[in-house]
Amino acid sequence: MTNPQDNTPNGPAPTRPAPTHTGRFTITLANQGGSAFEVDAEAPLLESLEQHGVSLPYGCRYGGCISCSAKLLVGEVDQSEGRALNGRQLADGYVLLCVARPETDCTLDVGVESHDKLYRNPFQSPLSPNELKPSLVGEPGSLQDAP
Amino acid sequence: MTTETDKTCCGPGYASPAEAMKAPREKLLYTVALYIGTGIQKPDYLATIDADPESPTYSQVVSRLEMPGIGDELHHMGWNACSSCHHDASKERRYLIMPGVRSSNLHIVDCAADPRSPRLHKVIEGAEIKAKTNLSAPHTVHCLGSDIIISMLGDAKGEAPGGFLHLNEDLEIVGRWENDLGGMKFNYDFWYQPRHNVMVSSEWAAPNTFMPGFDLEEVGLLKYGREIHFWDFENRRVENTVYLGEDGLVPLEVRFHHNPSSSHGFVGAALSSNVIHWFKKDDEWIVEKIIDVENERHPEWPIPVPGLITVILISMDDRFLYFSNWLHGDLRQYDISDPSNPKLTGQVWMGGLLGKAPEVNGHKITGGPQMLQLSLDGKRLYVTTSLFSTWDNQFYPEIRETGGCMLMVDCDAENGGMSINAGFFVDFGKEPHGPARCHETRYPGGDCTSDIWL
Repeated sequence: MTNPQDNTPNGPAPTRPAPTHTGRFTITLANQGGSAFEVDAEAPLLESLEQHGVSLPYGCRYGGCISCSAKLLVGEVDQSEGRALNGRQLADGYVLLCVARPETDCTLDVGVESHDKLYRNPFQSPLSPNELKPSLVGEPGSLQDAP
Repeated sequence: MTTETDKTCCGPGYASPAEAMKAPREKLLYTVALYIGTGIQKPDYLATIDADPESPTYSQVVSRLEMPGIGDELHHMGWNACSSCHHDASKERRYLIMPGVRSSNLHIVDCAADPRSPRLHKVIEGAEIKAKTNLSAPHTVHCLGSDIIISMLGDAKGEAPGGFLHLNEDLEIVGRWENDLGGMKFNYDFWYQPRHNVMVSSEWAAPNTFMPGFDLEEVGLLKYGREIHFWDFENRRVENTVYLGEDGLVPLEVRFHHNPSSSHGFVGAALSSNVIHWFKKDDEWIVEKIIDVENERHPEWPIPVPGLITVILISMDDRFLYFSNWLHGDLRQYDISDPSNPKLTGQVWMGGLLGKAPEVNGHKITGGPQMLQLSLDGKRLYVTTSLFSTWDNQFYPEIRETGGCMLMVDCDAENGGMSINAGFFVDFGKEPHGPARCHETRYPGGDCTSDIWL
């Protein structure tokens, strides 16, 4: 999975060429009977799939909320516009369909049926420092202010 | 200004809080109901609930107004006109303004043509608001005598601090209301008290921070609010910002006394689970913590659980303060006759994470006590159980299957005390399109959180 901001414990991903957002790819929805659609790379997957008549959840449509999250099982996307996912969600394969553009053929689980790992109770299962949102990893703070 | 006896000549609402308390009992409730986050591909909607105990459809949803599209996350709402326009007979409390936090759409709903079956009047699209004001994520709606202002929690890209959207009385965008945000880092709720030329606003977080859900770790990284702002209301600028620190993490609902001459106000700090009080003394604003709810340990979790005071409400006589501990599951009533020394006078339990009240009157409760609305006479408190779709899904994931609910709590407005009413229960788990959630409630004629007196 491509995420230019991803900063894993193993260090940043190897430098990759910038996404070109060109070409057409096949998107397979594994949890919708394996239905498959040809889409343009230049449009976000939410928009492309809606044009094919697929009904999907969404909220903000700019990458700031996680209502449209889907789980990427196979393939690569560019979701560098996204702001909403933390490191644990990214590591679990979640992508924001409203901003994610395909870079290869992809297979996805979509809708809330794919959200089994998206939500966690923070008092039950805290994030480790490297599981914060990529933009926050390494940012200094006063953690003693938490209750 | 009209007198209290001069009731027939006037505009919306009531001449005073004392007059409001004498109003007839509420017979209809307007409550937002949500499908966002549930997997049900249907729009959020406005549910109208029959609250007349003499009616055959008492305690039932009697109409549903769907929004035009999915994904809004309806949350709070406010009127085009309230008691602040009572002196103006040309004004009418007709339109309920219903923001979508995620979509930034403003739905204008006509509740006057048929109060039992409100209809959509028009929609101000989020895209138009973003283009004209660089604001998004609308939250609190208050009318200002004629015009309307709405707290907006983010800029067009969902980053803090947001600002305030100004609509005219024809419900058209004027622009941004504020002249100067000062050092305001975040935005959330606000209330104004014009006789003191003051508005107080509070802080949640940037939409891009709170919309995906609650990462506790981001509090320590200063991504959530911990300040309140005292505004020079006439000049529309933040005059004084008060840092609340660890006592005031995530200050949410702001309430002034209903008495327009009073300078006393309150805010609930959700994560610290404190109530903060302020008042003016010798022209200085004094700010103090008056209630502190202790965190509770869950036997299997590493981090203690805060009560999470997600809403506070003040009775129309300014005598009782109510609040919800959404995570603990209790709802409290305090006598605030002496605002600096509140006395706990009532407490009931419903749902919550501590396992103290998984069932109430034979009904399984998912979620905890959340939004509150009190009858004008102070005797009936309506409570819903859902907070915000992504936060619901973190703390109460079973709500997707069970839905939210509304309960009624009988309140002793003389001596204090509360008990959950056994005869009123609205089960949003049994809605026609499947389990929904429910959040804020309003009454057609104004309620204990909608109206401000000039």
